Amino acid sequence: MTTTCRWEAAESPSAAPGTPPPPAPERGTGATGRSRRRRGWALLIFAAIVVSAVAAGIGREQVIKSEGAGSLFDFFAAAASPRLDADFLALTGTAMLTTLAYAVLGTALSLVIGLIGGILTSQAWWESGVRTRRGRRLAGWGLARAVLVVPRGIHEVVWGLFFLVVFGIDPIVAVLAIGIPFGAVTAKVFSELLDETGRRPYTALVAAGSSKWSAMLYGLLPPALPDLISYGFYRFECAIRSAAILGLVGAGGLGFQLALSFQTLRYPEIWTLLFALILLSVAADYWSSLVRSARARGRQRSRDGGGVRRDPLLTASLVFGAVLIGLSSWWIGLDIAVLWSGKAWEFGIQLLSDAWPPSVGDTGFGGLLMLAGVTLAMSIVAITIAFALGAVFAVPASTPAQGRDHIERGAMARIGRTTAMLASRFVLVVLRAIPPPVWALLLLFVMYPGILPGAIALAIYTTGVLGRLMAESVDNLDARPLRAIRSTGASASKVFCYGVIPAAAPRFVAYGLYRWEVTIRETVVVGVVGAGGLGLLLQHQISAFNYAGALTTLAMLILLTLVVDITSAAIRRSVR
Amino acid sequence: MSSPIFALDGVGVSYGKNTALARVDLTVEPGERIAIIGPSGAGKSTLIGVLNGTVAATSGEVTALGCDYRRAPAREIRKSQRRVGTIHQRFDLVEQLRTVHNVNAGRLGSWPFWKAALSLLLPRDVQRVRAALDRVGIGDKLHHRTGDLSGGEQQRVAIARVLVQDPVMILADEPVASIDPARGREIMSLLLELSAEAGVTLLACLHDVDMALGSFERVVGLRAGQIAFDKKRADLTDDEVDALYAFERATEPR
Repeated sequence: MTTTCRWEAAESPSAAPGTPPPPAPERGTGATGRSRRRRGWALLIFAAIVVSAVAAGIGREQVIKSEGAGSLFDFFAAAASPRLDADFLALTGTAMLTTLAYAVLGTALSLVIGLIGGILTSQAWWESGVRTRRGRRLAGWGLARAVLVVPRGIHEVVWGLFFLVVFGIDPIVAVLAIGIPFGAVTAKVFSELLDETGRRPYTALVAAGSSKWSAMLYGLLPPALPDLISYGFYRFECAIRSAAILGLVGAGGLGFQLALSFQTLRYPEIWTLLFALILLSVAADYWSSLVRSARARGRQRSRDGGGVRRDPLLTASLVFGAVLIGLSSWWIGLDIAVLWSGKAWEFGIQLLSDAWPPSVGDTGFGGLLMLAGVTLAMSIVAITIAFALGAVFAVPASTPAQGRDHIERGAMARIGRTTAMLASRFVLVVLRAIPPPVWALLLLFVMYPGILPGAIALAIYTTGVLGRLMAESVDNLDARPLRAIRSTGASASKVFCYGVIPAAAPRFVAYGLYRWEVTIRETVVVGVVGAGGLGLLLQHQISAFNYAGALTTLAMLILLTLVVDITSAAIRRSVR
Repeated sequence: MSSPIFALDGVGVSYGKNTALARVDLTVEPGERIAIIGPSGAGKSTLIGVLNGTVAATSGEVTALGCDYRRAPAREIRKSQRRVGTIHQRFDLVEQLRTVHNVNAGRLGSWPFWKAALSLLLPRDVQRVRAALDRVGIGDKLHHRTGDLSGGEQQRVAIARVLVQDPVMILADEPVASIDPARGREIMSLLLELSAEAGVTLLACLHDVDMALGSFERVVGLRAGQIAFDKKRADLTDDEVDALYAFERATEPR
């Protein structure tokens, strides 16, 4: 499943857009300068982790609520007896379909935005034509890129809160809240896909007097489309989780039911809903990885000169997806007429005029900076824990065989290895199926509200995602050097230390940094359930109708994510 | 039709410090068949690019079918481009599409966008496509995926695409360079036949000097971005041709 890795990397918001990766800065050329720079980063990272841990209150404040252990135990005990009567199952089923419908329609919208936005932000679009001046072309391209930065920097939940104010409780809220930020990310990935595609057929059509849109349609889209569609399935997988989180803030579906059951602490109900969420998430994961691995094989085949062939699985999935879109909009009663209803516009304009000019509020700028620091600390603690746990799970979760494992061992060992793989994969999928705010709510049984429960909630969820990415990168290791080490008579553990770790470590670090960029955005989500930082402040400001303050906080958040993106890109460059 | 199809007046193209073409004067009259020869890197492909409007001249005047490429509005330029068909060395077909779509791509300049989009689902003007494919000898490949065809067949698809474009001028950039010599001769004579049949002007860049001297009435020698000679085939001497490649040959053996 090379595809995930490719995209996770392409998606990383800071990768230089569309241009070839910038050459590593040639400061202190040669191996010594490189290793000195790496050592510098390592020191800095270590210091950041220590500072963040202290800031998060580890070992300083009392964080554990011992009296909550009993209720946590009750909670887990209830897992064996979820509420399964017909009424509640019907309710769960309905909620499940609603969440699914949000995810489907949100993904569909994001694909439309991504397709058009991707074309308009591709270099192929701006560089063709006979006479347009270079300066104007660059300006157009840069402007199109810049327009997409803001929707990408704002988390789905914030979009959700905004649209809730504008439209009230309406299915369109979830669709827009997922579709807009996902669409901006898709546009970026898709413009890169388009620019990787050979441009000669497209240029030839433009030379024959075709309009740019027609030339795109015939010359550039057909080769790039399968990749876009299979990327769409990856987004769909993410959209299921987003749809659930949006439910928590009031958009309906599984998340909404979860929030209700949490308020009344009905554990058996919570478990029924969680099982439904896990089921949905696993199904989406499975479908998406099926489509994407088929696509990866197709790409491999065409690289090997086997010619391009239609992919039946992709076509079937596409047809099924189209049917799902139709059913989904019927199920949630989507009515896009609300988009141009006068009332929504009135609310929207009212909100924006309330928000302008942004105000710093009573905490002052210093207070805002401090909260930004807290948010940063939360993300660093979260990613540190997730990185360690993810690496621990990744090795057993990787596929056995391929010359690096216990092939020549007995049947028992092989069964043990397979069991370990299935078990750790199952753990990872459960960890990422349950959204971070739900983990945070669970942690609040045994912890006092604060940064730490938020950080741990994010860490648990991120472990699920990161562990899978890392396992895939172990799967994709070149097997030849491992076989060479094995042929010297080295034991499996030696092969692991000398072959697997050195080869996989740089990728692990790259994924860790990439997920750090995602995590800083997700701090908003746990902030919403009271875990501190800028997210909590934003939630307070929005519920107090203090939109001017919320706008400032939002700007601060975008700035913070930008700083994290740039830092992460710099570290990744030095690791590469 | 007394006005020239192309008129290049002191045309130069440079990329930064590199000069690809310098002070090129060239006039193409309707019905002419011209071969451009010269060593690799002489600027042949750049010249084709200037003629079909994908490469902007950095100096001089380019007039194509009465349209000034440097000043005319984009709409006018597209109108001229529509009447100039180009066949490329590497075919420039979309391998993922069926042959019928790749041929129809030649019509995109005259089709509105909706028709182009619709045609991908329900191919339009199939009769015309079939006639063009029949003419180039692969009428049975209408619904094949283009990527599955052989190199020679793909070049025939590219020619069929130019045929449905119905141009007054065909530009061919090394049309036979990437297929074997026997297929190459077939394709070349097909091109000459087609241009004679329809009275279409033909200008071809060729690496194969014998082919150029054997079949074209007018030969233009290009070297280091400048025109070395521009003569009727009958007036051209072997010495002039040898001189064109002299530098290349002198440096080759090392």
